[in-house]
Amino acid sequence: MAVRRRSSRKRRSSRHASRRRFPWLRLLIVLFVILAGYIVYLDIIVRDQFEGKRWALPARVYARPLELYAGRPLTPDQLTGELERLGYHTVREPTRSGEYSRNRETFHLQTRGFTFWDGPESSQRLRVEFAGGQIGRLIDRAQNRELDLARLDPLQIASIYPAHKEDRQLVQLAQVPPLLIQTLLTVEDRQFYAHHGISPRSVLRAMFANLRAGSVVQGGSTLTQQLVKNFFLSNERTLTRKVNEAFMSLLLEAHYAKDEILEAYLNEVYLGQDGPRAVHGVGLASHFYFERPLEDLAPDQIALLVGMIKGPSYYDPRRHPQQALERRNLVLDLLVEQQALSAAEGARAKARPLGVLKRRPLAANAYPHFLELVRRQLYRDYREEDLTSEGLRIFTTLDPQAQTAAEAAVTNRLTQLERSRGLPENSLQSAVIVTAADSAEVLAVVGDRNPRAAGFNRALDAARPIGSLVKPAVYLAALGAPDRYTLATWVDDTPLTVPTRVGEPWEPKNYDKQYRGRVLLFDALTHSYNIPTVRIGLDISVDKVVATLRRLGVQGELHPYPSLLLGTVDLSLLDVTRMYQTLAADGFRSPLRAIRAVVAADGTPLQRYPLEVERVANAEQVFLLDSALQAVATEGTAAALGARFGRDAGIAGKTGTTDELRDSWFAGFTGNQLAVVWIGRDDNQPMGLTGSSGAVPVWGDYMAGVGVQPLVLSPPERVELVWIDRATGLRADAGCEDRVQLPFLNGSAPQANAPCSRGELPRPIDWLRGIFR
Amino acid sequence: MTLLSRLFLISCCVLLAACAGVPQTRSTPAPVIYPDGMPRDDRGVETYPGGAGGGVETFPGAETYPGVPADRGSVTAPAPAGSPAVIALLDRADQQYQAHDLDAAAASLERALRIEPRNPRLWYQLAAIRLEQGQYGQAIQMAGKSNSLAAGDTRLQVRNWRLIAAARRAQGDAAGARAAEERASRLE
Repeated sequence: MAVRRRSSRKRRSSRHASRRRFPWLRLLIVLFVILAGYIVYLDIIVRDQFEGKRWALPARVYARPLELYAGRPLTPDQLTGELERLGYHTVREPTRSGEYSRNRETFHLQTRGFTFWDGPESSQRLRVEFAGGQIGRLIDRAQNRELDLARLDPLQIASIYPAHKEDRQLVQLAQVPPLLIQTLLTVEDRQFYAHHGISPRSVLRAMFANLRAGSVVQGGSTLTQQLVKNFFLSNERTLTRKVNEAFMSLLLEAHYAKDEILEAYLNEVYLGQDGPRAVHGVGLASHFYFERPLEDLAPDQIALLVGMIKGPSYYDPRRHPQQALERRNLVLDLLVEQQALSAAEGARAKARPLGVLKRRPLAANAYPHFLELVRRQLYRDYREEDLTSEGLRIFTTLDPQAQTAAEAAVTNRLTQLERSRGLPENSLQSAVIVTAADSAEVLAVVGDRNPRAAGFNRALDAARPIGSLVKPAVYLAALGAPDRYTLATWVDDTPLTVPTRVGEPWEPKNYDKQYRGRVLLFDALTHSYNIPTVRIGLDISVDKVVATLRRLGVQGELHPYPSLLLGTVDLSLLDVTRMYQTLAADGFRSPLRAIRAVVAADGTPLQRYPLEVERVANAEQVFLLDSALQAVATEGTAAALGARFGRDAGIAGKTGTTDELRDSWFAGFTGNQLAVVWIGRDDNQPMGLTGSSGAVPVWGDYMAGVGVQPLVLSPPERVELVWIDRATGLRADAGCEDRVQLPFLNGSAPQANAPCSRGELPRPIDWLRGIFR
Repeated sequence: MTLLSRLFLISCCVLLAACAGVPQTRSTPAPVIYPDGMPRDDRGVETYPGGAGGGVETFPGAETYPGVPADRGSVTAPAPAGSPAVIALLDRADQQYQAHDLDAAAASLERALRIEPRNPRLWYQLAAIRLEQGQYGQAIQMAGKSNSLAAGDTRLQVRNWRLIAAARRAQGDAAGARAAEERASRLE
C-alpha cells in the first residue's frame, strides 16, 4: 500500500502542471485513478477470499465401520447387505477399490481406504470365507496370508449443511492423480502453466467462433478465469463481469502460484446436483459418482469427471448416460492424441461401462430417529456454525445391520398384528432402541413404524407408563436384603388393600385376577404377579425402589407413590433403556453413547466419547435378578422367546403391559445386545396387546434378523446354586418332581430339606454311572 | 452307492438341516445356563466355579466393588485367551502405549472390547491406561469390571486390586489403598 500511495502523489503533482495545456488529460487521469482504486478494491476481494477460509464444509456423519475378523458372527447375506449399502460394485474379479465378488460363502473384495479417528485403514484385497454363520478365514490376497482384522469404510449417514447447501470434500494437489490434472489441462486449458491468467490466443479463437455462430458458443476462459467466475462473481454473462473476471484473474495469478490456483479450482469446480445439495470439487464428485477415493480413480472415470465440467447437468451420467459416455470417450480420444494414454489404454478405457454408482449415496436423512439422538449430543457440545462449516467428521455408533433389522421387525410385525387381530390399519405405533450390552453404544433407534418419517420421535420424546418393566427395580431392592428376601422367599398372594392419603384405597389385582395364596419370589417376578410385587415393594419401601431406579440410570420424573411399584410412571424409551442397560452390564452403569469421536477436517481428533463405567448395583444381587429375568424368557411371560431361540440362548428380559392394554413393552438382552420395544397408539387408546403378544414378537423378529449371541451370566464368587422344591420352597433333590435350580448368595439358601427329597442329594458321578450301567 | 451309505448321507443332511434351523450359530461353546447342570461340590450343593469354597467373606450389600473371591491358593483358570483379532489389537494398544499415545491405546482397547466385551484382560488394560492418564475414578471402576468378569483368574484379580490400590492412593485415599492391597495379598 505504501508504494501505491507514493505513486498517486506523484500523479497528483504532474496533474497540476499539465492542467492548462491538456484539459482532456485531467479526465484521463481521473479515470485512471478510479481504475486504480477499483483494481485495489478487486485486489482486496481476491486476496481476502482466497487467503481466508475459502469454503464452508458441512460436518459428515458416519455409521460404525464393519469389522472383519475370523470368528466374527456374520452371515454371507449380511455382508452382501453391508457392501450394497456402501455402494460396492459386484464384478467378476475385483480389481478396483469398492468392488467385490461373491461365490456362495466366499467373497473377494477390494476395500476402500479410509481415515478413521484412530488412524488410517488402507485399501486391501481381501478374501472372506464364511463357515457356520461366522467368518471362518480372512485373507489378505496381496500378501496371501491370514489377516487378524480389517475394517470396511463406514457408511456416511448424514451431512450437516450450511444454509446454501454447497458440499465438497477438500483434496490437496498431491492427492490428485497426475492423469486427472493432465486431463483437466488438456480439455480445459492447455496453456495453463504458460499464461498469466488470461490467454489472448484462446480469447481470439473463442471470439472468432462466436462471431461465426452469431452467439456465444465457446468460452475462451482459462482455468483461472473459470475459478474467478465461480469463486467471486455471479453467473451472468455481461461485459462488466467479463472485465472483472479478466482483472481478477490477472491479480490472482500475480499473487499466487499456479499450483495453488489449480488446487483451488479442483475443489471449487461444480460437478452436479443431489437434490438441494450442490456437488463441488473433484473429491466429493469422485465419491458421489463412483463411491471411491479420488486416488483410486481409473482413466475412464477421470475422463468422465473432467468431461462433465463442461456441463454437469447435460452430461449427468445418471440422467443422460449416452451423452456422458460420448463425452467421456471424446476426452479419452483427446488423451490418446496428446499421448497421455497409449492407444491400447485408451481403447480399454473406452470399452468400459460408465461405472457410475446407480443409486445415489444415501439421502441426507436416512436414519432420522438415530440422527436426532446424535444431533442432541452434538448441539450440546458444538456451535451450529462449527457443525455446518468446519468439515467435522462425526463417527457414530449406528449399526446399519441392527437398524435395518429393527426397522423391518417393527414394520412387518405391526402390519401382521393389525391384520391378525382385526385392528384398524396403521393404528399401532412403535419405538425400538438397541444398544451394545456392555459398552452402552446405541446401535439402532426406531421412533416411528415408518422409519423414514422424520416427525415425532417416540424413542426419545414419548413418555408412557412402563407397567411391569419397573418390577426388576423392586426385586433388586428386595434382594439387597438377603436376610429377608431370596429368590425362594414365599410372598403373600392374597387380596391386598393399600390405603391412600386421599380418596379410595388402592386394590391392586393380578393380571389374571387370580390369587395363588403364596408364591415364590422367583415365580412372582417371572410370571409378573402384581400383588406379591406390591407387598415386597411396600415392605422395603417405595423410596428404596425409587432410589434403585435412579441408581440404575432412570432420569425421568418419579413420584414415590405405591402405584409406582406397578409402573404407573411415565418414562421415555430412552430412560427404560438406561435402566436395563445397567442390568445387562452386570450392575455397571454407562451413559448411552451415540458418538464415538469427532475429528477435525484435517484429521486431528477433537473429541472422543470414551467408554465409562460405574458400579451402581451389587454384582451378586444383579446376578440373582438377571437369572430370574432369564427364566422370564424360558417359563415366564416371554416363554415364546425360549421356544423360538432355545434355552441355551439365555435371553433375559421383562414384559410390560399397562391399564386396559394401552402399552406393550419388552426389554430384553442377549450376550451382546439390549433391545427395548414399545408398542402403543398415539391417541393412547387401548389396543388389545400385552407385552407378551405385542412387543415380545417384535423383539424376537429383530433378534432373529441380527442373530442371538447367547447370554452367559458371569457368576460372582459368592453365589451358589441350589435345587428348590416349588411346593415347599425347601431344598430339593431328584425325589422332588417340581423343582427348580436357583442361585443364592452363599449362606442365604434355605437349610431344610423338602419332604419330597430322599435326604441324599445325588452326585453327578452317581448319575452318570446310572446311565452307563 | 450302497443303501447303507445313502442312508448315512440322508441322515447327515437331516442333521445339518436341523442344525441350520437353530436361530443363530454361536461362536462360543454352549453356555452354562441356569437352571441346568452346574458343577457340584462334594456336599452335593451345586456351585458356580469359585463359589462356596470356604474362606468366604461378606461385604455390605451396598459395596461398590465386587467382593473378594474365595481363597483357593493358586491360579485356577486363565482369562480367555482372546481371538487373533483381539490379540492384534492388544499388540497395537501396547505399541501405542510404548509410544506414549495413550488416547490411541485406549481407542484400540475399546475397539477390542467391542469384539470381546466380556474379556476381563481388556478391561484391566483399559483401567491401566486410565490410571496412567490420571483418571483414577474410571481406573478403579474398570478394574472392578475386570474383576467381576475374572472369576477363577486369581492372578488377574491380584493385578486389578493392585491397580485399585494405586488409584486410591493417587486419589489420597490411603485407607482404601491399604484395604485393596490387603485383598491383593490375600489372593496371592
